Amino acid sequence: MTATTDHPTTPPVAAVPGDRGGVGVRLSGLTRRYGDVLALDGLDLDIAGGEFLALLGPSGCGKTTALRSIAGFERPDAGQVLIDGRDVTGTPPAKRGTGMVFQAYSLFPNLTAAENVAYGLQVRRRPAKERQARAAELLELVGLADRGGRYPHQLSGGQQQRVALARALAVAPQVLLLDEPLSALDAQVRVQLREEIRRIQLELGTTTVFVTHDQAEALSVADRVAVLRAGRLEQVATPDELYSRPTTSFVARFVGTTSIVPATVRADGAVDLLDTTRPVDGSVPPGDVVALLRPEQVLVRADDHGTGRVVTRTFSGGTTRITAVLPDGTEVAADLVSTESTHLVPGTAVDVSPTDRPVLLVAAADL
Amino acid sequence: MLAVEAFRATDPVTYEESWSTASVTAVTGGAYGRAYLGSLQLSAITAVLGSVLGLALAVAVLQARRGQLLRRLVLTASGVLANFGGIPLAFAFIATIGNAGVVTALLGRVGLDGFSLYSMTGLALVYLYFLVPLMVLIIVPALEGLRPQWREASDVLGGNAWQYWRRVGGPVLAPPVIGATMLLFASSFAAYATARALVGSSIPLVPLQIADALSSNVLVGSENVGKALALGMVVLVGLVLVFYTWVQRRTQRWLR
Amino acid sequence: MTATLPTTPSADMVTAAAAPRRRGGGWRWAVLAVLGLYFLVPIAASVWFSIRSNGELTARFYTGVPTAPGFAEAFGRSLLLAALTVVLSLLLMLPTMVLVDLRLPRLRATVELLTLLPLMLPPIALVVGVRSVLAWAPDYFYGTPLAEAFFALQEPALPWILVLVYVVLAMPFVYRALDAGIRSVDLRTLTETARNLGASWPRVLLGVVLPVLRTAVLNAAFLTVALVLGEFTIASILGFQTFPTWIVEISGSQPQLSVSVSVLSLLVTWGLLLLISTLDRRRAGKDTP
Repeated sequence: MTATTDHPTTPPVAAVPGDRGGVGVRLSGLTRRYGDVLALDGLDLDIAGGEFLALLGPSGCGKTTALRSIAGFERPDAGQVLIDGRDVTGTPPAKRGTGMVFQAYSLFPNLTAAENVAYGLQVRRRPAKERQARAAELLELVGLADRGGRYPHQLSGGQQQRVALARALAVAPQVLLLDEPLSALDAQVRVQLREEIRRIQLELGTTTVFVTHDQAEALSVADRVAVLRAGRLEQVATPDELYSRPTTSFVARFVGTTSIVPATVRADGAVDLLDTTRPVDGSVPPGDVVALLRPEQVLVRADDHGTGRVVTRTFSGGTTRITAVLPDGTEVAADLVSTESTHLVPGTAVDVSPTDRPVLLVAAADL
Repeated sequence: MLAVEAFRATDPVTYEESWSTASVTAVTGGAYGRAYLGSLQLSAITAVLGSVLGLALAVAVLQARRGQLLRRLVLTASGVLANFGGIPLAFAFIATIGNAGVVTALLGRVGLDGFSLYSMTGLALVYLYFLVPLMVLIIVPALEGLRPQWREASDVLGGNAWQYWRRVGGPVLAPPVIGATMLLFASSFAAYATARALVGSSIPLVPLQIADALSSNVLVGSENVGKALALGMVVLVGLVLVFYTWVQRRTQRWLR
Repeated sequence: MTATLPTTPSADMVTAAAAPRRRGGGWRWAVLAVLGLYFLVPIAASVWFSIRSNGELTARFYTGVPTAPGFAEAFGRSLLLAALTVVLSLLLMLPTMVLVDLRLPRLRATVELLTLLPLMLPPIALVVGVRSVLAWAPDYFYGTPLAEAFFALQEPALPWILVLVYVVLAMPFVYRALDAGIRSVDLRTLTETARNLGASWPRVLLGVVLPVLRTAVLNAAFLTVALVLGEFTIASILGFQTFPTWIVEISGSQPQLSVSVSVLSLLVTWGLLLLISTLDRRRAGKDTP
């Protein structure tokens, strides 16, 4: 049960990007159980042709199971997988027209980079000339034209994942599946490679599903992000919408930084929040609620009579994050322009208030 | 310590060469030649059989569903049989299919007999009892090194099981399997306790001949024959090692 | 078991891997059944063989083991040899391997090759060499204390020469057990931390390294004990009486006793190994939840 202050409630309609020519994927009522654990609990999801969709969620939420169901490694207990309108639920992985990049160590260690890339063509018995040309083309695409003769162990982790991407793309798959392909890499390589994956995806227009537990990664590359929790879809939306208009408290807390601040809904429908009063849109019954505040929705001003105290001050270039603690123990994070917050050292007495932007309210029991 | 060890191993060499080559030439022909032939035959057959069966067992155990307990039982039992083996195994088999063995009696009752434990075949049967576990112990880590992603990647790229094993699984597994077979060969070749307890010296095997030569007080110079036989063994094992490194280098190009 | 992957797979990965992926497991059960029979029948038959006497069931071949003539002496000697071999092996190998790991990592490959060599050396060939040395040295060193030492090595009650040879034979097993332990912990960081906190080198070795490697040390010790208790070739050719040579010696006159002792030794060793692996798993389970 959620509501927002001040702005009209928008139904959680996901903005599907215009058709880019790739094939669509539809998951309907997908259910998968391992013993007592329900990994997928009736998952419904529509992926548009040519779309780059990120499956985001904490570990154990079922995102990998969903991806492996599309690939064909998992047979769902119930529900269907449709690729380009065709029911492939019982089709073996080899015949689905998908390409997959795994977490790590998926390159065949006994084959060179070029041989790895050509593997899919080799098992299709394509002539050697075509294989070599295609492998060279794909290696060029991922920026490893000069590394074709190397064996996997002679490549860095980032290079290995590029080769794995080239290998998956060599057979021109209808759908590209990426299973946390960056999680084993260094932070810097990770950012670089995710941008490159996005560039290549836009170039080829292949429908892509990208599994990750890193929300920053999902928000930065995907057309849309689907947030999964306990085998169910919480919300699917563009990154902007997901961040600014989360429809559930889980999404609000999982995506971006959120401070949880107690508030009270009055009988007349307005809400008391951090010594301010503002109207409420939506259906939250009177009583105690919590407000979920983004760091940029919080103002922190030095005030000798203020009840808050600065706890930490973390400089990160243009902005500085201030964490303040309120008398009731609530911690609130705020992002301020760095040059205007130099005086807010730990221990400073401050006044904490919300900005005028809409704020998400949740019944306290929902947390 | 290793210097002493090497000294001990090479000691028979100097001993031989300083006196005569008669013993060395003696061991290459006649009864001793037969012993080498017998040993080589037995070792080759048991090594190949042992590695095939051990590989099958290891794969079966690793792939068994909810196989944690089974796996632990098999691995520890393998540890015992492969390292502790020898004498107890021989007696277990004597009790089973020896002349007065339990199974021998059962088979005799249904009219089946004629199998002799105290033959080359019988020895092979007993040798496998410690060679198969040895193979399991050596090959399990290699099998665990085969990543499931490789098979899945091959699947998703359109490869079938045969293509996967021919192009990826086989080549990756070949070096450890060949290496393990060599080790099994050496282990079978060197086995003495089991053969001694089972057949005494009635079957031509090099270790038995060496022991005979060493304990014989009748034949003058038999001690030297024993040394020459032992030298031959060391040379043969050395050849196996050389062959092994050559094979590894050929099959593991991708690791260099 | 969990230490093989550099990255911990996420929880859904684990469940996914545990799910049945392929059909056609019929051959698997066939292999398990056939090999299971092959390995269980001799043990079962041996038990059956050793609990019968003139058509009656009896446990006397088991209860009679401790009092059998010669058993206590031979088994006791084997145990003593095993204990001495364990102590000597560990004293030799543990500091060497820790030193190589911390200070001389370039020597690792060489040490590995040298310690694995005895695995390929047939004991029967090794014993020929040992015999030659034993025969030649006392003459060569006649009248010097060294000759006395060589005679002392061959004292039938406690043949030190066997301990020396067994240390060599056990080297590959000790090496592999300790190496597995050393590889699974970051010894360098641990010792540097301890040194940084002010511990002396001996204290680091006894107080940090040894406890961290205790499972590996236990494994190494166990494998060595099993090897020494089962070793027949060398003891028999050099003419010393140990547990295995005793079994062979009595087999002629008391076949049932030799079989019952064999079965007992196999099962007891297996039980101990199973116990160690269970303890090992418990501890591993605690370390990585």
